[in-house]
Amino acid sequence: MPSSKFILFGYNSTMPLTADQEKLIKQDIKSKVFLQGPAGSGKTTAGIHWLTKLIKAGIPPHQILIFTPQRTLSLPYQNTLYQEEVQAHGPVNSLTLGGLARRMVDLFWPLVGIDAGFGTPNKAPNFLTLETAQYYMAHLVRPLIEEKGLFDSLTINRNRIYAQILDNLNKAAVVGFPYEEIGGRLKSAWVGDIEQLHIYDDVQFCADQFRSFCLENNLLDFSLQVEVFLKHLWTSPMCRSYLSQFYRHLIVDNIEEDTPVTHDILKEWLPDFESALIIFDQEAGYRSFLGADVESAQSLKDSCDKIINFEKNLVSEDGIRQVSLGINNAIARLKGTPQSNPEPSFEAVRAAIVSPAENPKYFPGMVAWVADQIANLINDGVSPGEIVVLAPFMPDVLRFTLTNRLDELGIPNQSHRPSRSLRDEPATQTMLTLGRIAFHSWEMLPERINLAYALVQAIDGLDLVRAQLLTAYAYKKSGSDFPLHPFEAIPPHVRDRVTFRVGERYDRLRNWLENINTQAELPLDFFLNKLFGEVLSQPGYGFHDKLDSGNTVAILIESIQKFRWAIGEQLVSDEISIGKEYIQMVNEGVIAAQYVQSWETGDEDAVLLSPAYTFLISNRPVDVQFWLDIGSPSWYQRLDQPLTHPYVLSRAWEHGELWDAEDELAASYQSLQRLSVGLLNRCRKKVYLGMSDLDVRGYENRGLLIRIIQNILQHARRETS
Amino acid sequence: MKLPEGFDFTQSNLKDYLDCPYRFYLKYVLHTKWPALLVDDALAFEERGKAGARFHRLIQQYLLGIPQSRLDAIAQSDPNPEITRWWENFLENVPHLLEGQRYVEASLSTPMLNQRLVAKYDLVLVQDESQLVIFDWKTSGKRPRKEWLLDRVQTRLYRYILTKAGGSLTGTDEISPEQITMNYWFAPHPEAPISLPYNQKAFQADQTYFENCIQEILDRKEENFFRTDDERKCRYCLYRSHCDRGVNAGDLQGFDAFELDEENFEFDLDFDEIQEIEF
Ligand code: SF4
Repeated sequence: MPSSKFILFGYNSTMPLTADQEKLIKQDIKSKVFLQGPAGSGKTTAGIHWLTKLIKAGIPPHQILIFTPQRTLSLPYQNTLYQEEVQAHGPVNSLTLGGLARRMVDLFWPLVGIDAGFGTPNKAPNFLTLETAQYYMAHLVRPLIEEKGLFDSLTINRNRIYAQILDNLNKAAVVGFPYEEIGGRLKSAWVGDIEQLHIYDDVQFCADQFRSFCLENNLLDFSLQVEVFLKHLWTSPMCRSYLSQFYRHLIVDNIEEDTPVTHDILKEWLPDFESALIIFDQEAGYRSFLGADVESAQSLKDSCDKIINFEKNLVSEDGIRQVSLGINNAIARLKGTPQSNPEPSFEAVRAAIVSPAENPKYFPGMVAWVADQIANLINDGVSPGEIVVLAPFMPDVLRFTLTNRLDELGIPNQSHRPSRSLRDEPATQTMLTLGRIAFHSWEMLPERINLAYALVQAIDGLDLVRAQLLTAYAYKKSGSDFPLHPFEAIPPHVRDRVTFRVGERYDRLRNWLENINTQAELPLDFFLNKLFGEVLSQPGYGFHDKLDSGNTVAILIESIQKFRWAIGEQLVSDEISIGKEYIQMVNEGVIAAQYVQSWETGDEDAVLLSPAYTFLISNRPVDVQFWLDIGSPSWYQRLDQPLTHPYVLSRAWEHGELWDAEDELAASYQSLQRLSVGLLNRCRKKVYLGMSDLDVRGYENRGLLIRIIQNILQHARRETS
Repeated sequence: MKLPEGFDFTQSNLKDYLDCPYRFYLKYVLHTKWPALLVDDALAFEERGKAGARFHRLIQQYLLGIPQSRLDAIAQSDPNPEITRWWENFLENVPHLLEGQRYVEASLSTPMLNQRLVAKYDLVLVQDESQLVIFDWKTSGKRPRKEWLLDRVQTRLYRYILTKAGGSLTGTDEISPEQITMNYWFAPHPEAPISLPYNQKAFQADQTYFENCIQEILDRKEENFFRTDDERKCRYCLYRSHCDRGVNAGDLQGFDAFELDEENFEFDLDFDEIQEIEF
């Protein structure tokens, strides 16, 4: 796989160490250290120095394990090995819980297949992606909804039902409770309408069905991989001795973003390592909706022989630190547990926070204000790469409006979208549309206009007007014949308008599509490979020199290939065409055909637009942050997920305790505090607050974050005067 | 030209460069995925690659000490009957050669001209008197000649890197080339592996060869990564349409199966995807 370019904070191991960092590096090489401190206090940099120290001491890199909650977080460590002075003789190993579980299950499958109760343990395991797991869930749950009336009182999209049941299974696995307890736990905490209790029963029923189906068919979704690993491999002497011989030194970063089961494993594993460094970010825990557990992370302290504290945030200037202090104080007051901390200085806070003299009424006004402020900052010499624009979710309309405005002002910008749907990409739409023509026996022929769009993309020199004309005469949807007619079959005056050059190209494409499946039906992915290679990327066709389109189509084909590998046997035995099923699932949204974009960019010196949580996890401090839509409750409210509950399914939750409005409010305060302080810890100089009286959706919002900012200012002013 | 951050020189990217500088540039500098077919009979090609990956996994499991009876059952249940035959060939011909400390799927690297050379070995055995034996399992049909193998980038690179970095396996400072042997074992051929001992002269030649090659890459300007003149290389190249070097993929028979990288056929999952997708 080609490596990507990441806009992660450049950890520079040649910078002089702080006294705190020195203290860590001076520890004996056989130490087990728990390192804690706020974000921006230099912990990861210290961790990188620790890694360098291990390698320079002659420890073979393959004996070093970097463990992180997310693979990208290990990149700064990997990149260190490229520094000249490090001279490592091999790569270090990076793992996440998911990676560890999958690797071990794959390797030791012959040992576990029988004991774990799989239907055909002599056959290879079939690891499911999120998409293919979702597919199987839909396969099982759809008939239950349609025929048995499960979830009939719910009005949410079905795909969210499937996803939330899977999420529950994943939570059970990473929190460490039997999946059979999902429904019971959710029910025991519920206060309210009795109907919801039936919904939780339905959730449990579907989870049970799914698990049995997976076991029967050698399918392993994420939750089953983790469970099989924990129950059958982590307890197996062979697997344990393999792991402890293989990995002798451990570095864990962002332990607070990992799950209780990870913490359990690491706690048991620690005595086997010769050295360990565990890095804990205080005030974090942003992935709690994925099962991250700050409390259980802290319990690893007891297993280390030394605790080192990094006190000081090295990133933020005084004003920003004062805002942080103010937020902590304000939330404590709102919670009714005021602290005896000093109040921040009014001047410092005022200088660090910038907001418009008067809030615009509508969100385009907010966007205009933000863009103008960015332009001023750049005029004053701030580098665009030092500016980030954040909103809790960054909806497309906001992103689009802001990007346009920045483009108009000539300001370089890039936007991080956590995931994009391939369905929205013209290149993939073209491929799938032409696929429907070639596989016309599937009876999924595209709409005329969609075919016209596809031909515009596919054929060089064809515009939409002429493409519509062409399809009006050449495309016949009825009957079982091939639906595209040759160019010569259309009236001469239309041929003249379309031009003969385009006609030739059209004919070549048409003939290719007609003949490709005459002998045997190709799998959809190989069909698309051929279509791309033999026609659309040839001279005269739309993708000939489009490297970007090539990349997009490649991702689509990979998604189809994974689908075929995971689902193939099943569908073939049911005599269903895999390709048809794939297209149907994409249309229904079961397969989102989403691809995750890494923090990848062509231009690092550009203003970044990003959802707030994504920015937090990317660990990249900047000079200036813009927080948009600060009146919105999305800054602290949980997503509406009627089939699951991150708090009730967490390890800290007492079975039988009720989740009520007070708990909800406390959770909101905690989310807001973590998010806002986390962002400030990654900000050096100033925060600009953007809001409009009516938000993007036209609602008037005056949520908690605004109240807190006002509260800070009031108290700071009072204190100062 | 500056190579992308995190770039490692491996046997496959060096081979790509030697085949065609422009292919190297597209693939590793621009990261261009060009989703055309590599060979015409894609399904058979895929099955060959997947069978190779499953066979490698079986050997790996054997080397880890998983009971043979379980592996026999898995080999016999494999949908591809060749696997059973390969497995029997392996059990008959190889285990007695596997004395020593085993490093299975070990990755080693060594710096060169401020770059990194990396090799991933199927197996390295550290034997008595510090003999280091590399094993590479091949499932390709043909058993090539020794001279041909000696000339392969893989042979040259793997032995070179082990000489430079093998100390991290033996715990010694220096390894001499004479301590190293590379064994290719061909599963369809139930004979002994082809053994290629290393020596100082070959080591010096390899060092010069790789240094020249890497220096040449680093010295090239982006616009000088030219397309190869040898159009035979384009037959099995994904970028053939981009380069106007033909329409159809090369045929499976003519494909050099020695170069088949089984890892490309393994199911690669990225669980990081979980955190990003809303539900
Ligand atoms: S098609 Fe030929 S010229 Fe083009 S990149 Fe491939 S090998 Fe090089």
